[in-house]
Amino acid sequence: MTEEEDVRALQLPGHLCCPGCAGPIGSKLILKALGRRVVCFGPGGCGGMAVKTVPCFTLHFSGVGTGAAGIAAALEMKGKSDITVLSFAGDGGTSDIGFGKLSACAERNDNIIHLCCDNEGYMMTGIQKSSATPYKAWTTTTPTGKVTWKKDLVMIMAYHYVPYIATTTIAYPEDFMTKVRKAAGIPGFKYIHILQPCPTGWRFPSELTVEISRLAVQTRAWNLYEIEHGTVRITQKPTPKPVREYLAPQGRFRHLAEQDMKEIQVSVNRQWERLEKLDGKNLWWPE
Amino acid sequence: MPVMRLLDGNEAGAYAAKLARVGVIGVYPITPQTEMVTRLARMVAEGELKAKYITAESEHAAMSICAGASAAGARVFTASASQGIVYMEEVLWAVAGQRLPVVMAICNRTIAFAGNVRATHNDSLLQRDNGWIQLYCENSQEVLDTILQAYRIAENRDVYLPVAVCLDAFSLTHTAMPVEIPDQKDVDTFLPPYKHEYVHLDPDMPQEIVYGPEPDDVTEYAYQREVAMQHAKKVVREVDEDYHRHFGRSYGGPLEEYRCEGAEGVLITMGSITGTAKDVVDEMRRRGQLIGLVKLRAFRPFPSEEMRAIASRVKAVGFVDRNFSLGSSGGGVGCVETARALYPMEKRPLLLDFIIGLEGRDVTPDQVEQMANRVLSAARTGRVERDVEWVQLRS
Repeated sequence: MTEEEDVRALQLPGHLCCPGCAGPIGSKLILKALGRRVVCFGPGGCGGMAVKTVPCFTLHFSGVGTGAAGIAAALEMKGKSDITVLSFAGDGGTSDIGFGKLSACAERNDNIIHLCCDNEGYMMTGIQKSSATPYKAWTTTTPTGKVTWKKDLVMIMAYHYVPYIATTTIAYPEDFMTKVRKAAGIPGFKYIHILQPCPTGWRFPSELTVEISRLAVQTRAWNLYEIEHGTVRITQKPTPKPVREYLAPQGRFRHLAEQDMKEIQVSVNRQWERLEKLDGKNLWWPE
Repeated sequence: MPVMRLLDGNEAGAYAAKLARVGVIGVYPITPQTEMVTRLARMVAEGELKAKYITAESEHAAMSICAGASAAGARVFTASASQGIVYMEEVLWAVAGQRLPVVMAICNRTIAFAGNVRATHNDSLLQRDNGWIQLYCENSQEVLDTILQAYRIAENRDVYLPVAVCLDAFSLTHTAMPVEIPDQKDVDTFLPPYKHEYVHLDPDMPQEIVYGPEPDDVTEYAYQREVAMQHAKKVVREVDEDYHRHFGRSYGGPLEEYRCEGAEGVLITMGSITGTAKDVVDEMRRRGQLIGLVKLRAFRPFPSEEMRAIASRVKAVGFVDRNFSLGSSGGGVGCVETARALYPMEKRPLLLDFIIGLEGRDVTPDQVEQMANRVLSAARTGRVERDVEWVQLRS
């Protein structure tokens, strides 16, 4: 079996997600990176609409991380050390209802990889705001735009002093798979935050998913980096485009005034400046 | 060799989990369960028990951890009470739906505010509809024995349902008695290692275990769990009998009839009130009063047939409900359940309900006698004066 065929065997072709969904692209990359020796845990959200042929265990989405923690404990007791336990959740599960649970998994340093599949809202229930929804974005519960900033889950998780944290997005498959493979090789709790553009919720044509994902990085609206034992490393340093190029194609930002655009650009610049200062340095123990 | 130790209900529970060689323990502290789980922490820390001990951040997480570990092939244990049970309720439905043989001790405690830490049965009884088997204990010895039995019941291939072993807050969790701790070798013979025949998380045999079926299959899946519950009736009895063969103790399976021979009326009790009630029945019998006692061990599956068999021999039945079901068709949860069980009988006895012992309020021998006399009076006169009586209600 070639490598390509093997991946097709791990996630069956075709899915019940919306056209252009980034979810199945992401899970395919994860399985391609890790192969067959995995057990997945997650909710029955959008992610479940792409059928995987690896073992999957599901609880309601509020159980974020914990089912995986139980699985990892059982596998350890049974001496099965070659299996990677993956914990999937959306941004709602990760940042809202399951936030405490995930925090506990990190604090206990449970031997799992948590993958936050961030489409910036409760998309399966019909585009409601989560605390990972960005500033000013329209959702059905923020009809005039969200008035607060996106929760910085990555930094919050980093301050749990866990061995590995990374951000990625589907337009950078090599970056994505490298980080997943790296996480699998590190014992303890690993957190990977994946930006997953959602054509349905973000209001853009379904053929633009990869393009929007790439624009997020190119405009520095979403930065790719990793934090290994506290040491920050930026993995993509794009020549920046204005954030307008990322926001404009998305219907959820259609109502933005010029002043909003400026405000978001200032925020994006500041985020990058902070990150750049940290690049190569230890976040936890600065010199 | 078995050894005798002075143990309270919490310690007995911890010893049982250890003897069952649980592999994963996921816990969150709550009064009055804490001694059970902290004792287990020490057992793991000192190497007496080889298990992963996971400190969850909530009861909801503790049960989720147990679910994942059970699906991945570990025998699991947890304990909780009161608000903790309510908080984990969502996962309790999933665990039963996934047919995971999780065993949990419920240290029955009032659901109210933080100051209410004593016994009421509402926390476990709330879970009567979701597929959890429920066994209620009278004393510490029974707690130990019932937890060992619970794993055999839960892991039976015709059952595969989770089991809650219920013990009253403080009157059982914190009251010590001499308990016989069986020898590990004998327990190993009684309880073989856990292996689920249907559920596994193995990359070589991939399987998806969800928390609910497809919409079109909900009826069939629920019915399968009901079939498993009906199987469990037999299994609860068989396991109790087998336990007797191994260890010389048994508890009558789903219920124990205590001095019911020739009785005109019976009281039905659950949990620690039973001990007091047995003494009162002894005394009344000595005086020639024909009262009997039924200790209901299994609330789920509810032993309707056994109940009817007893009811067919008496003229009145009184349920001692340490719980309440506000606005119900009449009385506490136990009484309502019993009424349905007795309804198909051609000649039904009279049914009385007593709400008593809420928030651990002491149930005195005098009060038990008062309830017994009400039952006997109904049996004699053929008339029920008050069908639901809040026995200890202050005026």
